[in-house]
Amino acid sequence: MSRRLAASSAVVAIVLGVLLSAPVGETARRPRYGGTLRVEIGAAVTSLDMAAANADEGGAKWEINSLIYDERAADGAFQGAGPFHVTGFEAGKRVALAATQDYRLGRPFVDAIEITMGRAARERMLDLELNKTDFAEIPAEEARRAAEHGVRVSRSEPDQLLALVFTGDGGGTRTPERGKPAGAKAREALALSIDRAAIVNFILQKEGEPAGGLLPQWSSGTAFLFSTAADPVHAKELWAQIVPAPKIVLGYDSGDSLEQAVAERIAVDAREAGIQVAAEGVHPAGATAVSCRLVRMRMQSKQPAVALENFIDVLAGSTKIETAALPAAATPEDVYDRERAIVSSYRVVPLVWMPRVYGLSARVRDWTPPGPGEGWPLADVWLDGPVDGAAEEGKK
Amino acid sequence: MTFRTKLFWMFTLALVVSVGLVAAAVTEVTRRSFEEMNRQHTDALVAQFQREVAQRSDDVVHRVQGIADAEGTVRMAIDLSRPKGDVSVYVNDAVGVAKAHQLDFLDFISNDGSIISSAEWPARFGYKIDWVLQPEDWVSRGSFLMKADMQEGPALALMSVARVRVGDKDLYIVGGERLGREFLASLVLPTGMRALLYRNLDPSFQAANLIDSTGPASQAEQFGPIVEKEQQQPGEQIAKINWTADAASAEVFHAIALLGRQKELLGILLIGSSQHDVVTLQRQIALLSVGVVAIGLLLGALLGWWGAARVTRPVRQLVEGAKEVAGGNWNARVNVRGKNEIGQLAKAFNQMTEQLVEQRERLLQAERVAAWREVARRLAHELKNPLFPLQTTVENLQRAKEQSFGQFEEVFHESTGILLAEIENLKNIVSRFSEFSKMPHPELGSVQVNEIVRGVVKLFEAQFGAVGRPPITPELHLDEHLPLIEADAALLHRALENLVLNAMDAMPSGGVLMLRTSPAESGVHLEVSDTGTGLTSEECERLFTPYYTTKQHGTGLGLAIVQSVVSDHGGRIWVESEAGVGTSFHIELPKHPPRRSVSFPISFDYEKEKEKEPEPEKHKQEA
Repeated sequence: MSRRLAASSAVVAIVLGVLLSAPVGETARRPRYGGTLRVEIGAAVTSLDMAAANADEGGAKWEINSLIYDERAADGAFQGAGPFHVTGFEAGKRVALAATQDYRLGRPFVDAIEITMGRAARERMLDLELNKTDFAEIPAEEARRAAEHGVRVSRSEPDQLLALVFTGDGGGTRTPERGKPAGAKAREALALSIDRAAIVNFILQKEGEPAGGLLPQWSSGTAFLFSTAADPVHAKELWAQIVPAPKIVLGYDSGDSLEQAVAERIAVDAREAGIQVAAEGVHPAGATAVSCRLVRMRMQSKQPAVALENFIDVLAGSTKIETAALPAAATPEDVYDRERAIVSSYRVVPLVWMPRVYGLSARVRDWTPPGPGEGWPLADVWLDGPVDGAAEEGKK
Repeated sequence: MTFRTKLFWMFTLALVVSVGLVAAAVTEVTRRSFEEMNRQHTDALVAQFQREVAQRSDDVVHRVQGIADAEGTVRMAIDLSRPKGDVSVYVNDAVGVAKAHQLDFLDFISNDGSIISSAEWPARFGYKIDWVLQPEDWVSRGSFLMKADMQEGPALALMSVARVRVGDKDLYIVGGERLGREFLASLVLPTGMRALLYRNLDPSFQAANLIDSTGPASQAEQFGPIVEKEQQQPGEQIAKINWTADAASAEVFHAIALLGRQKELLGILLIGSSQHDVVTLQRQIALLSVGVVAIGLLLGALLGWWGAARVTRPVRQLVEGAKEVAGGNWNARVNVRGKNEIGQLAKAFNQMTEQLVEQRERLLQAERVAAWREVARRLAHELKNPLFPLQTTVENLQRAKEQSFGQFEEVFHESTGILLAEIENLKNIVSRFSEFSKMPHPELGSVQVNEIVRGVVKLFEAQFGAVGRPPITPELHLDEHLPLIEADAALLHRALENLVLNAMDAMPSGGVLMLRTSPAESGVHLEVSDTGTGLTSEECERLFTPYYTTKQHGTGLGLAIVQSVVSDHGGRIWVESEAGVGTSFHIELPKHPPRRSVSFPISFDYEKEKEKEPEPEKHKQEA
């Protein structure tokens, strides 16, 4: 009896798996043109000019521009007519894009893209569940819940690094005052106290992986050489050597619930190791004096050397990186050495690698999650089913 | 101070003491009543607090048990009881459930004590809470106080534990409410009372741990002593805090220990009772008491004065009567009626004065008879001596005429000479008596006694060193700052002459005559001393008696004259004598003699002087 039940369960699982996975990697049905793709984003973009981008709208604006323009120049500027062109723009509210008929790589499948801006993650999730939108980026930590609620979830490779970056140039162990740079021992003690696995498993709900280095395993192949295990005993020993014991102020983006949860967890881990850490929400553009802060960085290239250099460029504005630049034709060993040098200074403490998670409606077909440095490939997706009917259904 | 004044003050004092005692008693009774009322209020508040805690405890237990019984929790327990149960799915559940059940604290804890989800500190997942695994019947335990860890620091909480058992695995639900200012704000307190909570989170007193219903307590440092006392000896303590110098600002605080599961001190509830009303009422009572005392004193003083006057009136009459008697009016009588002690005293006084008058009359009569007898004796004695030569001379004349007529002429002349001499003697005797009887009244004037002394000594200078008799050396010790007195200089001169003559007679073998003057309390003191043979006590006793003399040819009037002069000047005279050493006469004269001289009876306190002077031969006589 139990054997029969097990066999039945296996069959049901296979069928469900095929049915659910088929639209994403669809090859069985022929793509069709037409329809409007409904997209929701969190940022409220006020201008599409990349030169006027700010921290809040930077990522979203880049994605929209990657749909409008064809390619990027050497300096990173967008250029050339892309697969879509702007037909309507309401600052901070809505962007309407229409398919460019004579796009050099071929007309996109969908006729138009309607982007609604300023939708919070919760609203985006709800709209995905209610089929009011076709595409939305959702927080990684919400991926599991979204899937449990019937949302199609697509994940990129983990290419977002959440790291702890100590501000200033450090030096010495005398850091009793707020905002003063923490010394090497203090930085190491704090790095050793952090339980990265707990962050991944509980906060990120297993979306992502612990980070020991500045490059993910899938990119560099050397990430496993960096330890991600917590060592609170050693951390406690190191901290005990620091007299007087400093109080570390850990800053996080006050508008980012994930960063807040991670920062508070770091404070708990540090507390267990006897380290005084106060988590404090700060504005990303603000100049609040903190000892260290959480930084989210997205890989801009699949190439380890390029991605590392890019990270170093980003980090150099926040902390002191004292390693020589990579040679022009850097070998994997060169990349590893430089990565090791940066990590060993404990000025940058990699915490977790997170994927980008997207929610898709059931009618979106041929969606492939973008890689590092790539925009949303919405020109390649097509909408299944009665396009207008689906749209009407969504409006209801 | 008069008897009436004394009586008045006694009345007043008695009244003050009585009123004061009554006022103190009223104040004390009032104070105790208020303290008792305060205590009852505090007891009521403590009882209310305990009821509130008990009610909250039941509420917390029910809510936590409700969470444990909820379907979601049971599903969680079932899920986690599986071999590969994923706890990460539930990491955020506690926040929502706690909010739904209005709990400040809620932790889902796995079978091994690890926190699955925490509402009060979401980032604390994965860490263990060991105490929940201790073998204890959490159902019967109900709720309890405990120090709960929170992100912003430890807090005092009323907690309860529920357990969901699936198979051999337990899921613990630990939930509770924070005991903080919201809890204090929920207590209904009478006017003038307030409650504070000290969270005993540190080994020593920390002002920041003391809160009231609005937040951190102001002037929390003032509570340090009572909190530290409670920390050392948990129980119920009472302390008074004076916020300002004004006693009305004071508050009495009752500290009640809040104990945890292991009877450890977790918190201290401080119930304060303002002393403003008590102090205000006490002040009003005190003010009223002062008013009552003042009015009472005034009335008491008036009544006391009237009463004292009424009581002392007969006494005053007696005093006046006694003064009149003392002033010589022996006919004074006191008119006091009544049968009480005062009346009896007045009656006895009147009887006494009547008896005194009668006795004085009898004494005067006896003295008069004795004086006449003495005068007769002295006259007989004085007259007998010249009469005998007169008789023999006349008899000689008769015999000479009868027997030898030729010698008659010679005898006649001799006898008539003797007769004339004796008759002259008789005339002198009569003259002296006459002179004594005619002692003039003093004519007062300003007198320097030293001048009189020097004059008398000069008068007798020739006789002190007369040829044929042993010399007498006069020694003068005169105080140059002697005050002037009102006296009759001639009479004083005469009295001093008598004393000097007396002294010279007392020193037939010569000696030293010492005259000393000195200021006295009331006037002037004069001393005349000789180094003669001295006097016996019997002689001293009779020395100032008129016509008494120890000399062969004295009249006994010299010292009587001296005593009379001194008495007329309102002074006094006494004699001190020691056999073989000498005699001293002392005279004290007032600056201003009384208008009417008073005759003092001569007395001699021989026994008293004997006690003073142990020598048997030393005598003193005062006139």
